[in-house]
Parts: sequence; structure tokens; C-alpha cells
Amino acid sequence: MAADVPASVLPPPPRLALPQASAVPGAGTVVIRQTARRALRSAVLWGYVSGLSVASTALSYAATYTTTAQREHLAALFGTNGGTNAIAGPGYELQTLAGFTVWKSLMFVTVAGAVWGLLLSTKLMRGEEDAGRWELLLAGETTPRRAASQGLAGLAVAWCIFFALTAVITVVVGHSSKVRIAAGPALFFSLALACGAAMFFAAGALASQLAPTRHRAASYAGTALGVAFVLRMVADSGTGLTWLRWVSPLGWVEQLQPLTSPRPLALLPIGGLVVVLCLLTVHLAGRRDLGASIIADRPSADARVRLLSGPAGLVVRLTRATLTAWIVAVALTALLMGLIAKSGGSALSASSGIEHLTSRLGVSGAGAAAYLGIASLIMAVLLTFVSAGQLSATRGEEAEGRLENVLVRPASRSVWLAGRLSVTTVALVLLGLATGVFFWLGAVTQDSGVGLPRLLAAGLNVVPPAIFVLGAGTLAFGIVPRATSAVAYSVLAWSILVEVVGAAVTTNHWLLDTSLFHQMAPAPATGADWTTNIVLTAVGVVAAVLGAVAFQRRDLAGE
Amino acid sequence: MPRPVIQTWGLSKRYGDVKALSALDIEVEQGEVVGYLGPNGAGKTTTIRLLLGLIRASAGRAEIFGVDCQRRPVEVHRRLAYVAGEANLWPSLTGAETLHLLGRIQGSVDTAYRDELVERFDLDPSRKVRAYSRGNRQKVILVAALMTRPELLVLDEPTAGLDPLMEQEFRHCIREARERGQTAFLSSHILSEVEALCDRVGILRDGRLIEMGTLAEMRHLSALSVEATFDGPVPDLAGVVGVSSVRVNDGVLRCNVYGPVQPLLKRLATARVRELLSREPSLEELFLAHYGNGHEPERDPVRGG
Repeated sequence: MAADVPASVLPPPPRLALPQASAVPGAGTVVIRQTARRALRSAVLWGYVSGLSVASTALSYAATYTTTAQREHLAALFGTNGGTNAIAGPGYELQTLAGFTVWKSLMFVTVAGAVWGLLLSTKLMRGEEDAGRWELLLAGETTPRRAASQGLAGLAVAWCIFFALTAVITVVVGHSSKVRIAAGPALFFSLALACGAAMFFAAGALASQLAPTRHRAASYAGTALGVAFVLRMVADSGTGLTWLRWVSPLGWVEQLQPLTSPRPLALLPIGGLVVVLCLLTVHLAGRRDLGASIIADRPSADARVRLLSGPAGLVVRLTRATLTAWIVAVALTALLMGLIAKSGGSALSASSGIEHLTSRLGVSGAGAAAYLGIASLIMAVLLTFVSAGQLSATRGEEAEGRLENVLVRPASRSVWLAGRLSVTTVALVLLGLATGVFFWLGAVTQDSGVGLPRLLAAGLNVVPPAIFVLGAGTLAFGIVPRATSAVAYSVLAWSILVEVVGAAVTTNHWLLDTSLFHQMAPAPATGADWTTNIVLTAVGVVAAVLGAVAFQRRDLAGE
Repeated sequence: MPRPVIQTWGLSKRYGDVKALSALDIEVEQGEVVGYLGPNGAGKTTTIRLLLGLIRASAGRAEIFGVDCQRRPVEVHRRLAYVAGEANLWPSLTGAETLHLLGRIQGSVDTAYRDELVERFDLDPSRKVRAYSRGNRQKVILVAALMTRPELLVLDEPTAGLDPLMEQEFRHCIREARERGQTAFLSSHILSEVEALCDRVGILRDGRLIEMGTLAEMRHLSALSVEATFDGPVPDLAGVVGVSSVRVNDGVLRCNVYGPVQPLLKRLATARVRELLSREPSLEELFLAHYGNGHEPERDPVRGG
């Protein structure tokens, strides 16, 4: 039939007259809604954290520094101090409540928001794709580009919730008679607080296109954040390299200078970066196959079986990349803290105002040791993050069904769990030692006068809170497995909130004592409190044992 | 007589108000291949997870090799191997690394047989699990189970995702295993697979075991399917003992007969039959008879015999 007619002349096959499938309402936005829904809880949580950190700083400043002299004194100390500025960013108009609040909360919220942003966006973009859920969505009429745009739109919804909560709390607090910040500037401040999250949502989304796995995507975006942080740290540490601030996205956030001398122009590079990253994300999504990545994964590899001799070896094999990255990150952070300890510590010297503030954190005295005491609190937070992350991974093995491969063979649940907990514990001790050694390496170059034994003790002193979180999370894993991560991160978030926020606004010891970091003595500013450390560790171990017993008796539970 | 390889007494599992498995009593003798059938959610996987000790029984108990598999799972697992319907493996390991790891955890591996299986299932072990298709991941856990030469194979829809050639290869492996005296408990959706491999079949519905026996026994209990073509009018079969599901179409009559066929033959003889076909029901028909028609077994009210 029509053999000599060119194919292009033939009519297309007629459309079948099938019963019309009615359009499902909202089918075109399914990825947006899915992404936004999965992001909702953490957006609300982080919105509160950032709003409350502003509120507490402003209110505690208003209550603590009541005289002009006190405020001038505070400003004189911190305004020019490279050590503290390297951590918190440069301070402007610190003699005012507005200036001090911005200085105290902007960098903290920006970095916390960026970490949240990159973890969440890689989870919801790459993680969902890895899990095969996008395959279902894309089998419909959605193209990869449209799906990626919708994923971004879903993240944008989450960002808006985060921003809105921050803004509402900031505006309401600004309205109070003690604080008095007008709504307009308060909104600009809230926007500045949310910039870190926006940029790293986009960075995470782009990394999700580049990297073959969620894990890898998070580490690419995390590396970018690390570089940005170090660049602005150098720029702010009084080395005369302030121009570097314009190279780092975190520097742009500082340049916004909200509440003191707002520079909306600095929004341009921030907005520009977000737009470029989003456009690249969508472009690359269309350039690759589903499940594939721009930076190709090697599909084959030579067998390396040295570690693969049992459940414990498997844990080492699966977690060594993550734990090594943590050790490097902790070592670098500790080194930087050590390097700036002496200059930072001088700000704490001979200042009744500051002493008042830091003594609330449990730090007394002055000099490099006092500075490293505050730094050790930050290290303790990092270590508890490692615990919480490892607990998530442990639960992930069960939830995603991989654990069954081990447990249907002659390996008991307790042996498997003990393997995981031991590897994490060893890693935590190594991280503690790295903290001490690298504090010392940094400090010794500056002649800080704090010796290695004292700093090693300070390093080991940051481990017990992380062991406690590991134990509490394991107990949750045994009793309510699906809440493992939530429990571990809640203990962590609560402790941070009480320590950072609570220490400034209240002296109620019942409340403060619920923070793990308040329990911890800030060595080397004070001596390590070994009794408390033994109690924290023992409670952690008992909780872990109870968790293991409960795990032995319960059903394995999927997602 | 030795104890059965698998034996359960009133094994039950509840999730809140939902009874996933109700009072299961089952025995699997050594060297048997037993099929375990049921629609989604009937309790097949629940049974297997109870037998493996992955979940806790609400009531009853289960033994494998005479050992309580809820209390002493590790002891039981030394002598069995399990293949899940979905291979959830570690994406960053290669096939070879996965087989090495699972072999080491098991404690004993017939490496020559492992290599033969890798060859037979056409598996490239140098690839990472992440790069495998679903079928290839399934092959990894099949090889990992078979290579340990277990006394008991517990298989939960083991051929999900395999192509027909590999499905055939799987059947060869199970037949070989049976010839060597290994026992297998096979839960499956693929009725032809069960029909081809299994000595006995259990049928599960809503968490209850409703049939258990050899295929021959089950066919005996079930209807014979009859098809007759007529030259001329089709006789009325109303009131004929044992006949049900009568359908007439273009001079062709189809019906099912329980019990003796004599009454039907008598009635058919009154008309001009051109062609008469009768056959035993396939497992599929047995299965559908149990689950079709609103989940009620199709039985004739006017039952003969």
C-alpha cells in the first residue's frame, strides 16, 4: 500500500475515540505540592529557630545593657575584634540594640539556614529521584525540566514559610516598647536572615543535577558552603582582605547591613546567584536522563572486599567517607579557632559586660582559654550533629530494607546495632581528639599559652554530649523507630536553643539544665567536669542498652 | 518419621485491629517444594517475615528445623536462605562485593557454584548495585541465597523483575535444589511457576489458609471444565446435578461440573453434539475460583456426588 509515497505525505494515524479521561485537578503541580509538603515541617521549625534567635538576642540586650556606658563599652570591644568577627561577622553600630542583634544573629541564622537549605533540597531533589519516586511522576505528562522547575517551586514555598515565620516574629518583637524596630527595617532584616537558606536551596538543587547520589550532592553543596564560610572568615578576621567579602555569598549577606545602614543593592548578587543556579538546575535537568547525573558515576569498580567481612566492617565501609569528611571539617574548624583564640580572647578580658554574658554560658576568665571555651561549645554542637546523622543512617538501613539482608543471615540484631554504635563512638572520640590537637596546633602558633594536655582534655570534654544524643536516639530507635531522627535532632535543636537563646534571657536553672551544652563545662575556660561527663556518658550508654533490648523485641519497620 | 522442616501452630499476627495472619497451621516436610499463593495483602509476606523472625508473632509459634524461629533466629538462619521480592542492597557496593559480604555473613559459600550461578544468570558482578536494573539486583540476591547451598530456601516472589529466560533459569535451579533434597517455601504470584515447581500448594485469603494440598487433590475438589459444540439447538441444563456456570454462545456451551459427569452426559446426549472438550482446571482457574466472584469460592448449590 502506497509503497512509493514518501512517509511525510501520509497522514498521521487517526486519534482514537477513547472515553475521555477527566483531568485530575492539580495534576500539573503534583511535584510542587509533594515537595512543599515534605519540606513543611522543617521550614516551620527553622522559621521558629531563626525568629526566636532574633527575639531572644534583642530582648536580652534590652534587659542587660541598660546604660549608654555599658553599650559603648560592648561596642568598643567587639567592633574591632578580628577573633570574634571571624566567627560572627563584622559588627556595625554595636552600641545600639539593632546593631548588636544583627551582629549576634545574622551569621548564625544564615549559616544554619544554608545547612538546612542544602540538606533539604538535595534530599527532596536528588533523594526523591534516587528513591525512584520521580519516575512515577515523570511517567505522566511531566518532562524532567518541568519536574525540576516544580521541585524548585516547592522549595520556594518552603522558603516562603521559613521567611514568613522569621518575619512575623521579628516584626512582632520589633513592635515591643523595649526593642522598637519599625516594620520596614524588620522585614528587610528578616529577608537578610533568609538569604542563606535561599542561596543554598538553589545550590543544593544544582548539586542534585550534578551529583550521582544525594549524599554526593549534599557534599558538593556543603563544600561550597565551607569555602564561602572560610572566605568570609578570612575577610572578617582583620587581615586587611575585606574585599574578599564580595567573593563569598555569605559576605554578600553581611553587606546587606540590615537595621544599621541597609544596602539593598547587595541583594542583587544574592538574587542573581539564586536565579542563575535555578536556571542552570532546570537546564541541566533536561540534559540528563532520569537517575543519571552530569558528573558521571563509574558504573563498575574493582571489588574491594577487605572491610566486607561482617556487619561491623560493612558499617566502616559505608560511613568512612562521611566520617572522614567530618574529621577534616572539625580539624579545620578547630585549627581556625585555635589561630584566632588569642585575639578573640582579648575581647573577653577585663570586661564586666561581656563577662556577664559569657558567664551565663558558663565561661569565666578571659584570654585564649576563655575563647576556646566558647569554641568548644561550637565543637560539641558539631559532634552531636555527627551522632544524630549516624542515627539517621542507622534507621535508614532498616527503613529502606537493606538491614534485612544482614538479619536474615546468621547475624543477630544486637551484634549489628553494637557494630554501628561502636563505629560512631570511635569516630566521636577521634573527633574529640582532633578538636584538642587542632586547637593546640592553632593556638601554639600564636603563643596563646594554653598547653596540649589542657586542650586534649577540652577536646575529649566535647564528646559526652554527643554520646548522650547517640544513646537517646538509640532508645528512640528501639521503641519508636520511625521517630529516631526526630528525637535525635530535637534533643540537639532544643539544647542549642536553650544554650544560645535561653542563656541570654533567663537564669532559670531548671530550664537551662535541660540543655546538654549547659551541662558541659566549657573547657579549657574552666576545667573539664569529669563527674558530669561520666554521668552524661553513663546515661547515654544505659539508654543505648535499653534501646538495643527494645530493638531485639520489636518488629522490623519500613518507612 | 523426622520432624517437618517448617511447622507452625496457630501462628498469628495483628497490626492494631487488622489481622494480617490468623492462626496459621502449616507443615513443610523435608525435600518438598511448597507453593504459597494469595492475592496482595493476604498475609504471604507476613508469614515469611514471622518465619524469619523479622517480626514478632502476636500468638502461636513457629519452628524451623525444630528450632523456635522467633526466639532463636540466628540458629535457624545458619541453615536457610531467603530471597525477598525486592532487592534492597547497598547502592555503592558492586555485585561482587555484595556477594562477598553476604557470603561472609552467612559463613559458608560454595564458591564454584557461586561462579556458575553468576554465569548462568548472566550477571556482571563488577557493576555497582546503583547501576543495576531491578532484574539484575534480583539476580544478586538469588545468587546470594543459592550459593550457600541452604537446607531450606524461603522465597518471597523471588522472580519479580526477571525476564522469561532468567525465570526459566530460576526454575532449573529450584529443581536442582529439590533433587539434592533441599526444601523450598515459595510464595508467588506467578501461577505457572508454582504449577511447574511445587509439590504442594497452600492458598491464603485475608490472613487465613483456606486450602492446602497437592495440585491433584485440589483439582479433585474443583470443577471440571466442559465445552460442547452443537449442530442444532443447545439443550437446557437446568436442574442437572453438579453443573454450574453455564454460558451459551453461538451454539457453543461452556459449563463447570463438580462430581460425577454422568448426569451431564445424559442430558447432552439428547442433542446433536459435534465436539466435546473437557479438561481439568489450571491452577489459575483454581485460584480464580477461590478469589473470583466477590471473594467467594464458586460452588454449585445443586452439588452432585
